[in-house]
Amino acid sequence: MSETYTLPIGPLHVALEEPMYFDIKVEGETVQGVELAAGHVHRGMEALAMHRNYFQNITLTERVCSLCSNSHPATFCMAVENLAGIEVPMRAQYLRVIADEVKRIASHLFNVGIMAHLTGFDSLFMHAMEVRELMQDAKEGVYGNRMNLGQCTIGGTRTDIDADIARFLRGQLEALKPQLAELYGVFERDPLIRTRTRGIGLLSEQEAKLHAVVGPVARASGVAYDLRRKAPYAAYDELRFEVQSDTAGDVHSRALLRLREAVESISIVEQCLDQMPEGPVKSEGFVAVPAGESVARTEAPRGELIYYLRSDGSDTPQRLKWRVPTYMNWEALQVMMAGCQVADIPLIVNSIDPCISCTER
Amino acid sequence: MNELAKQALDNAVGKILGAGSVYWSSDSNKNAFGWVKLCEPQSLARLAPLLASAGARLMTVTAYRNDKFARIEGREIAYHFDLDGVVLTVTTCVDNEPPMVPSITPWFKNADWNEREFTELYGIQVEGHPNPKRLFIDATLDGDILDRMVPLSTMMNGASTSTLWEKVFAGKQMPEWTKGAKN
Repeated sequence: MSETYTLPIGPLHVALEEPMYFDIKVEGETVQGVELAAGHVHRGMEALAMHRNYFQNITLTERVCSLCSNSHPATFCMAVENLAGIEVPMRAQYLRVIADEVKRIASHLFNVGIMAHLTGFDSLFMHAMEVRELMQDAKEGVYGNRMNLGQCTIGGTRTDIDADIARFLRGQLEALKPQLAELYGVFERDPLIRTRTRGIGLLSEQEAKLHAVVGPVARASGVAYDLRRKAPYAAYDELRFEVQSDTAGDVHSRALLRLREAVESISIVEQCLDQMPEGPVKSEGFVAVPAGESVARTEAPRGELIYYLRSDGSDTPQRLKWRVPTYMNWEALQVMMAGCQVADIPLIVNSIDPCISCTER
Repeated sequence: MNELAKQALDNAVGKILGAGSVYWSSDSNKNAFGWVKLCEPQSLARLAPLLASAGARLMTVTAYRNDKFARIEGREIAYHFDLDGVVLTVTTCVDNEPPMVPSITPWFKNADWNEREFTELYGIQVEGHPNPKRLFIDATLDGDILDRMVPLSTMMNGASTSTLWEKVFAGKQMPEWTKGAKN
């Protein structure tokens, strides 16, 4: 047997560029206009969902995107439950909130970490990622996975949290609190971060409404819209939390807002662990999904996530459509980047927490 | 359930279709969902300004075939609006040939991407779209996109690498000395 062999790589290559393209018009060093070209990795997942049955689609929707990988199946399950009139037990509603909020903390820390990296403050980037590890370990300890939790199922949740695991989760949150407070202080006061991010990528409240941006991007521009409060789902109407908002509408305010939301999330998870009633975590049996249509919405880490389900009464959806938060935020980049300096482009793009796999589906 | 928002949406739709034309349902958390069907796509252009002035926000648009396996001809489009936590889904029939609906971008700027997407996916034409360009890439893509445009990963390079600058300034009139420089 020959000692050498050929390793086939491709048709995609590991070093391929990220598949979102920009046409940037500049005047000197000032950006005059931005155009986007998308679709290089369009996966046709909505078409795929029409050929999977309702249970298979839980797995499929979890794979739309990694950072919101709990929000997708949770919202899909809610759309099915709304249509079929399935009652989710109260304990499962709390368990869903816990999974959502743990993912939110990890997602927000990832985003602010990248922001630190983009300002050239790499030790802060590494520190933020290290702090995030507390949540990654929590996910692994509670659900057995560091990214896709596989927690949601139609009619409830897949796993329960017992006293031992609850103690472990509380320990991780306790360890996170001082770290998060320290990070917030650095992001708020560090002169380098402030110089590079304050007054950059401005989006006024009026423009935010016009572009219908969602999530932290909208809330940092004064649109205090949070589905957990506006249209409560799961157990959110029984939990106390502050909807974070700001009026500065710049890169700095979006990062700080995400960190404040992470702090709120810790409190939400703790309240869930305190208040969670005993009982089953999923409904018994399965009700057939009747013909009809339903809408479900949740607040994913990046903002409002909406699922529209249309059923013809068979075991596969007639149409399943989802709109991800990032889809709404791309076009507002044209406003945020108008008149900015070339060197500020990466920071502004990162501040919308862009997700290409979500946009392309 | 937000009664004021429900009322505002009800009134807006009522001006076109008459009072009580919205069917309301709710989920187990008592969130309200309104459903309206427009059989004439042109009424969309009359309803959109009323919804916009009521303060509604377009969340997304779903186009689909009347029958999943295309055994029955025809398409429908569901427009999903939100007003202060209340969802209104306006479904319009698209039976005409060629399938065509009026654009609602004059009132909802973010309809732009949604309308371009369903044009690509379902072949539904949009009348009066301000920017009727391809949204997602297909076979007719011009071949030099990788050369002309800046990919996200380059753009996200915090250090603003020379590649970013070169791409951004490509095609611009630049002094000679900038062109030969080695970085």
